[in-house]
Amino acid sequence: MNEAAVLYNYLAVGAILFALGLIGFLTRRNMIVMFLCAEMMLQGVSLSLVAWGRFHNDWGGQLFMIFVITVAAAEAGIAMALILMLAQRSGKLDSTFWQDLRESGQAAYVDREVPEELVEDRVWPALPPAGREPRKDIDEFTHRPHV
Amino acid sequence: MTLLAAADNPDLLLRAVTCPTAWGLAVGSLALWLLVPGGRWTGIWSRVLGGVLTALAGVLFAIDLPMFGPLGTQVVFWLLCVVTLGSAVAMISSQSPVYSALWFAMSLVGSAGLLLMQGAQFLGAATIVVYAGAIVVTFLFVIMLAQPEGHAVYDRLSWGWFPRPAAILAAAVFLGLLAAGMSNMKDDAEFPTVETVQAVDLAAEGGVLHPQHMANLGRRLFSQQLIAVEVAGTLLLAALVGAVAIAIHGKQSRATEDLARE
Repeated sequence: MNEAAVLYNYLAVGAILFALGLIGFLTRRNMIVMFLCAEMMLQGVSLSLVAWGRFHNDWGGQLFMIFVITVAAAEAGIAMALILMLAQRSGKLDSTFWQDLRESGQAAYVDREVPEELVEDRVWPALPPAGREPRKDIDEFTHRPHV
Repeated sequence: MTLLAAADNPDLLLRAVTCPTAWGLAVGSLALWLLVPGGRWTGIWSRVLGGVLTALAGVLFAIDLPMFGPLGTQVVFWLLCVVTLGSAVAMISSQSPVYSALWFAMSLVGSAGLLLMQGAQFLGAATIVVYAGAIVVTFLFVIMLAQPEGHAVYDRLSWGWFPRPAAILAAAVFLGLLAAGMSNMKDDAEFPTVETVQAVDLAAEGGVLHPQHMANLGRRLFSQQLIAVEVAGTLLLAALVGAVAIAIHGKQSRATEDLARE
């Protein structure tokens, strides 16, 4: 097989995976999807590493990818714990909620146009204006029509 | 260096702009601009058009890639690329984080197939077992614990009008620069004049395609990279302890908040 062509093909695929992960990370607001895009960037780089290792008949590419997978696993564990704590404090996975951590001279981002809700989104019952909360039916508010 | 040469030489610049890779980048940028959530056009037809344009961009990229082997091998490679890159596009344009995680798992399956084609069999298996089997499952657990009902607003929007086209432009410029910088390599691949490593050298003793290459990988890992292996183990231990500490601290602070509220 033409080894230089194999190298070029795999580098192209790795670069496109990295670029797609880059776009997803900069664009999405859901903390979990941002992290998945970072993992996809790591996967693109790993493909390039293995391709270079094969081209130069060197084990360094595959060895480095083993450590990339290890670090990705450690990073995913810590990130999931952090995201879970943030989501329990704020009630949602939105990274806009934590935008008070931005630079001091920058304006806050506010959602101006909210797109229409889809039909399948449920509407929760409203609380009465005074007095205590109504007794909630546990089956009703733990029912998830889709995850 | 290639770009300076292109600026001096108008023929080279014309060739760089009209080659299928540049067209593929333009069409792919348009497709992603339609697909990534947060745009003004939402609805089934813009997503269908985005999918069609993604396929067209993939075809344009594939035209420009050099063939590296017999047709059977090439077709398998293209199929694996379609699976990997198509799942990646679906992952960043999906409006539900569960679907994003599942598309990412499919992309990992595709890249594991690509690694198997490279001859890195241990890494292909490790990608499926560790990445798709453990990391994505952890993601899905966290989504299960933290996901609100239905499609949340922040899954359908982005950070305003600027980041979507800016991010797509940045990624397109990055890919264009890479393709321009690797154009010498592509010329060498299409018209091999330098001596490229042949498969018979790779299958020699200690090579990456030797029949017992996995044993060689293990031998190299635990002899030359032994300290790195120990450090990686310590890193995993530290990550485990850290994750448990974060979770326990969160639970304790929530318990004290509940006690203070009552």
